[in-house]
Amino acid sequence: MTGALALYRKELTTYFRSPIAYYVVAVFLLGTGYFFLYNVFLGGETTMAGTFQNMGLLLVTLAPVISMRLLAAEHTTGTAELLLTLPLSPWQIVTGKYLGAVTILLAVTAGTLVDLVPLYLFGTPETTTIVAGYLGFVLLGMACLAIGLLFSALTHNQVVAALLTAAVLLAFWFVGHLQTFQRSSAIRGLLGYGSFALHYTDFIQGLVRTESVAFYLVVSAVALTLSAAYLQWRR
Amino acid sequence: MSSGTAIITLDSVSKRYGSRTIVDGLSFTVEAGEIVGFLGPNGAGKTTTMRMIAGFTAATSGRVSVAGYDMATENTAAAQHIGYLPERPPLYDTLDVTSYLRFVATVKGVPRAARAGELERVTTACHLESVTRQEIFKLSKGYRQRLGLAQALLGAPKVLLLDEPTAGLDPGQIQETREVIRAFGREHAVLFSTHILAEATLICRRVAIIDQGRLLAIDSPAGLQRAMEQSHRIAVEVAAPPGELRDALLAVDGVLALDVRAAATGGLLSVDCRVDGRPGVEAAIARALAARWDLHRLERQQPTLETIFLQYVTDTSGRGAAA
Repeated sequence: MTGALALYRKELTTYFRSPIAYYVVAVFLLGTGYFFLYNVFLGGETTMAGTFQNMGLLLVTLAPVISMRLLAAEHTTGTAELLLTLPLSPWQIVTGKYLGAVTILLAVTAGTLVDLVPLYLFGTPETTTIVAGYLGFVLLGMACLAIGLLFSALTHNQVVAALLTAAVLLAFWFVGHLQTFQRSSAIRGLLGYGSFALHYTDFIQGLVRTESVAFYLVVSAVALTLSAAYLQWRR
Repeated sequence: MSSGTAIITLDSVSKRYGSRTIVDGLSFTVEAGEIVGFLGPNGAGKTTTMRMIAGFTAATSGRVSVAGYDMATENTAAAQHIGYLPERPPLYDTLDVTSYLRFVATVKGVPRAARAGELERVTTACHLESVTRQEIFKLSKGYRQRLGLAQALLGAPKVLLLDEPTAGLDPGQIQETREVIRAFGREHAVLFSTHILAEATLICRRVAIIDQGRLLAIDSPAGLQRAMEQSHRIAVEVAAPPGELRDALLAVDGVLALDVRAAATGGLLSVDCRVDGRPGVEAAIARALAARWDLHRLERQQPTLETIFLQYVTDTSGRGAAA
């Protein structure tokens, strides 16, 4: 595990010595701040529900920026030849890289906590609902980053990786809307089950359902397994 | 110096991408305490071979084993024993030199207590002391190359694979790098590719010549030279009719083949005769020609490593193939 940990530390250093992490954190916090002000002060809502909804969509569009460089950049800079010939198994590489990206996600999440200060000062929000919302946000982010990592492994081009990830994540986000056009309840159920947005809405409403937690964890696990398998296969 | 133990073994190794064969049935070994030079023109398959030995890519067929590990199935375990400098130094530009080396040392399993000493050893060996705190993107090409070499040396691996390690270095740095390789090669197995043939003669115990993915020869520089002495060349310039000249030369005992061209000056013919190793063949040619025509030049050409290399790679018959 030392290897994966060393890679994780290297990832964090790389993130914070390049503009990417700062860009993502800044854009995300500015965006969240705007939505929070709009929802709470202009909309008069004293919950985080609206803001969480906007944060989810913002995350889906920004996660590809965090994940695009994870493996694709290693090929562009020629460091893939080092990384893939060091005593690291594909799983260690995937774990180290993924944890690095998840740490950025957690930093972003921590940054939004500042929004809670006025909420608690001027209102009486339900803490459990907020905690559930944050849990949903982190799980959603983990699934987005795992999918992003997979596309970053599949292509050597960071921009292509970002675009493919964004396309897939947006499809996962909006797929629930297709329910309206389906008569078959089975298909409606399937579309609902596959929707990032619908599962996320459960968390925002304060519902921590095993099904939703499992959904995000399974999506993450499948994407990470495919990434590790691809690294092994492409040799 | 050799311990006689094969550390790197390639057994009928091939690599194909679709219908393209990059490496074709390559077999050779590198022993501990041996430096082997890997020579070949661009596109010969050197880098692909290096990558297969390093475990970056797997062979399509055949077996690559390093330090007793099969690279097809045990590449992660074998990686502990391999130091690899690819053609393009694999550097993380945003890190500083020390952070980069510390990362590689940690992943290679250098114990925490020994890490500082190990970093000092490689930075001293590669003359990087003055840049240890610098960010990598600020380094010159020479320093980048030496940092790439330093990471390969970390953990004192049993096998050192260097893909053109002296490319981009100035003459002083080339000399220093050769010294590092030579010192390391006393106890470990080193395989390095180069375009500089003199480099191979200077530091290698054996040289492998590869072209179009096939091994054409592997021997000591002196051994390759001896092999080529069997086919010395004699350059002749003479004023004579081409047909008769050709007949006259082929009639001389020891002349194997001819290449007749018009010389640059005054209607002369320039002939490149490939001759066998028997003594006195120049004198026989001189007698045969001078008796009938005006002989302007007759010169025996000793093979240099350059000519050997070129002859091997242009000899499509593969006559020189030997292992």
